[in-house]
Amino acid sequence: MAGDAAGVDVDTVMAELHGRVRERLRGQLVEAGSEAFADPTVFADVEGVMRAAVSTPEHARLILPELLGEPDTWRLTTKMAYRSHRGTGAASLILFVKQRVLMPLLRWMYEYSRDNFERQRRINHVLFACVQELALETALLRREVRRLSGAVPRSTASPMSSGPASGPDTQSDSPQSR
Amino acid sequence: MKLAFVVQRYGAEIAGGSEGHCRELAERLSGRHDITVLTTCARDYVTWENAFPPGRTVEHGVPVLRFPVARPRRMKVFADLSDEVFEGGASHERQEEWFRENGPETPELVEYLRAHGHEFDLVVFWTFRYYQSYFGLPVVANRAVLVPTAEDDAAINLDVLPPFFDKPAGYMFLTPEEEQLVSGRAYRPLLPSMVVGSGLEPVSTAGMTRAPLEALGIPQNYLLYLGRVDRNKGCDALLENFQEYASSRPDVALVLAGPAKMQIPSNPRILALGYVSNEVREALLAHARALVVPSWYESLSIVLLEAWNHGIPALVNGRCKVLAGQVRRANGGLYYMFPAEFDEAADFLLNRPAERDAMGRQGLAYVDREYRWPTVLSRVETLLQDVRRRSTPRLQNVGS
Repeated sequence: MAGDAAGVDVDTVMAELHGRVRERLRGQLVEAGSEAFADPTVFADVEGVMRAAVSTPEHARLILPELLGEPDTWRLTTKMAYRSHRGTGAASLILFVKQRVLMPLLRWMYEYSRDNFERQRRINHVLFACVQELALETALLRREVRRLSGAVPRSTASPMSSGPASGPDTQSDSPQSR
Repeated sequence: MKLAFVVQRYGAEIAGGSEGHCRELAERLSGRHDITVLTTCARDYVTWENAFPPGRTVEHGVPVLRFPVARPRRMKVFADLSDEVFEGGASHERQEEWFRENGPETPELVEYLRAHGHEFDLVVFWTFRYYQSYFGLPVVANRAVLVPTAEDDAAINLDVLPPFFDKPAGYMFLTPEEEQLVSGRAYRPLLPSMVVGSGLEPVSTAGMTRAPLEALGIPQNYLLYLGRVDRNKGCDALLENFQEYASSRPDVALVLAGPAKMQIPSNPRILALGYVSNEVREALLAHARALVVPSWYESLSIVLLEAWNHGIPALVNGRCKVLAGQVRRANGGLYYMFPAEFDEAADFLLNRPAERDAMGRQGLAYVDREYRWPTVLSRVETLLQDVRRRSTPRLQNVGS
């Protein structure tokens, strides 16, 4: 539907703007010493992976958090929990003092750190998504390497799939090594 | 048809988007249908304190039945409970408790629906997140139409929602993105449903001079933000982006028109006007280079439609799917996701007058095509008739 009005096409303009922003960033990275980004296609591939990770919805299910186990042991929590290990009577009194006396005093400080917790939680989510994207890319590449290794005679296969220059993971996953 | 419209607040002075949508439809459809509005006595959407007298009134020709709010919102309890349930893993009971604490808790309204809901052909509910919809809709589910006004925020991911979204007999959405969002949280295709949008009256900008703006010292070259200046609306990021942007472009200003709910940095390029008269508001819209909408969460941005209605383009937060979708469908502006994109997009809109004007015209054409009241009302009528037709056999079965 984006192109159904005459005149200026938003998608075209946005593509130009994105192109300029990306090109400027790539230039800055090269200047800073990341020479691999001198190749625009490398930059585009890397940016694609990162962008996919950043675009992961806030509540999307990811593999790494599942593998980390019980969320209470690793997840940042912004919830205020009032607990006491004492008996019922003493516990009620302590909880009352915590909730009604101490917390009003401390709450404004908590509000400040809560914002930072929220930011860190978002970054963690994006990093989890990045790791997952990279793992996915690796898995797909391994599959492709295996497929090529199977299709191409060993003598003409690329070093990456069968030769000594390939990494240990790639080597162990190639059909020839099994 | 005999219709009940259920909404959290109601009245000409109530500024909320979903409340305004409900009132506009009630007033515009009341000539064709027998409509009763069922609402609460609250005026303030934060505290829900009773402000209107309970009982029946007639407002602009529409009968309104108000029910008292059992208790004001307990802010601290609600904040702590929100933290708990949005973190994930909270029990269904705690999540239901969230809807109760979110309020406005009006058990008498739910009881009224239980006793009299069957007297209406259809009962239309606005906004899924409030008490009256969450607890009232299941009581009349077989004749209920939901206008979710859903945003892509934490509440939409609550586990109790898929079964809730399974209940209504029909749906009205404000944008295709909202439809997609809610459909993704339901067990079944949400049929019958329709993206109805909201309507606007045409405005004439021909005679609108800059005189009201000159008096306020508003420069020629300005970006406009309209609405509450609030972190929840993305204004903190906007102010940061703009200050960085303006530091190397001395001829541009950002005009903020709306009540400030956050500290606004002292910067001669940022002009915070607070509440403005309608005359100033219209002049600001008519003469802005572009409207900026930095919000992350929207179900439909009325102010964006208003900008297009005045023929000016928009610069919106691309992380909000609704805003980016509206801009792309209209070809009516640009979007950004981070500061470098904000700079590029703002430069384009400020320095390319021909393209800017074309985008403004395209936005106006989009509003003419999709958001005029006759078009919107026709969609609403079609949807209501469809739901009524489909639900009649079900209602007969229930009665037999």
